[in-house]
Amino acid sequence: MATQQDTKNRISSVKNIQKITKAMEMVAAARLRRAEQRIEAMRPYADAIRRMTGRVVEAVERIPDLPLLEEHDETRRVGLLLVTGDRGLAGPFNSQIIRAGNKREAELKREGKEVVWYASGKRGISSLSFRGHDPVIARQGYTDRPAYSNARDLANDIATQYEEGNVDRVEMIFNHYESAMSQEVQRDVLLPLQQIEALVTDEEGQDTREDEDQQKRRGLWIYEPDPEEMLKRLVPDYIEISIYRALLESTASEHGARMTAMRNAQENATEMIEDLELQMNRQRQAEITQEIMEVVAGAEGLT
Amino acid sequence: MARSSFPCEVLTPEGKIFDDEVEMVSTRSGIGGLGILANHAPLMAMLEPTELRLYKSDSDVVSFAQGEGYLQVIDNSALLIVEDATKAEDLDRSELESSLKEAEQSRDEAEEGSEERARCEREVKRTKAFLEIGQSS
Repeated sequence: MATQQDTKNRISSVKNIQKITKAMEMVAAARLRRAEQRIEAMRPYADAIRRMTGRVVEAVERIPDLPLLEEHDETRRVGLLLVTGDRGLAGPFNSQIIRAGNKREAELKREGKEVVWYASGKRGISSLSFRGHDPVIARQGYTDRPAYSNARDLANDIATQYEEGNVDRVEMIFNHYESAMSQEVQRDVLLPLQQIEALVTDEEGQDTREDEDQQKRRGLWIYEPDPEEMLKRLVPDYIEISIYRALLESTASEHGARMTAMRNAQENATEMIEDLELQMNRQRQAEITQEIMEVVAGAEGLT
Repeated sequence: MARSSFPCEVLTPEGKIFDDEVEMVSTRSGIGGLGILANHAPLMAMLEPTELRLYKSDSDVVSFAQGEGYLQVIDNSALLIVEDATKAEDLDRSELESSLKEAEQSRDEAEEGSEERARCEREVKRTKAFLEIGQSS
């Protein structure tokens, strides 16, 4: 049976863990705030690109043939991009992405399609490798604070995969950030960008194309280079932004999930300490009782 | 003679990094250097990596290492939407050099004439431009 000293040691180790989780919660809270600010900061850029794409789409005589806009004749192989974090201890943050990926894989297999795995974040990469699905594209080391260039690299790799015909569709699974308390798994189709029209509507689903007044002035615009040429760069840019947004939302979700997980851990630790203290008191009482009984028994033996 | 000024905004994925009145914007498009003064005709341009200079006045110039992006001039105001804009003094030489090497390597590995090759080419160009800006400052 555990002695009083053992229980005391356990209490102090639980208290230490509680301190660590408290620190982790505070770190996560600070990072969450920063991640939220970065989501806010990228919105004007994304909207500006969208508005600009709208203008350019209006101005082109014909949408150019771009491999990224083109739908393949047959969808046989689907690329799944799992957006996870580099670190664990964030509640269901990583596992729910991996679960959603597995579920989607099962669905696609039932439809007779093959799955090609891509992963961002160490957790996703290692869990895929563990199951013997080595991801074709695997990037990590930035999930705490993703930069735009990380999104660009990822977008380039994925675009290459699509253009070379290695996959016929690319879907992205990531944690959509709602609040510190709730993150939802979201699945978006990244490629093909079938409808350039989709680029023209903003986040609220409103058409950002010019009104008639502006259209009248359109003839006065100078384009350098042709709108067709511009579109060739705007389309990949759009994919970069989509991935960048997913990376940022995923980072915010990660910190949010970690914060919640750490808070729960602290509550559990408090409960555990209470239980252990009760146990320790009982043990102490039992020891005292034992000693008294021994004394009494000893005294009786003397008489 | 003081030139008249006009509002100019610079947007990057990291946020709005400049929003002020300027007398001239100096950047570069595919065909060469581009200088925008007040009352410019409506313009939509695709920008190449270069040193972006925003002249608040002849003596007060704000400059950035600018990645690829777009410039829109409308109603006498300029909007720059760029992937990246870093103050020259914040550029990290050694990091740029290693990413240049990496970019050149993947360019040489990519198939001639493929989209991938074109993308790597852009990456090389961008890093080179940034390195030059870092050197001159």
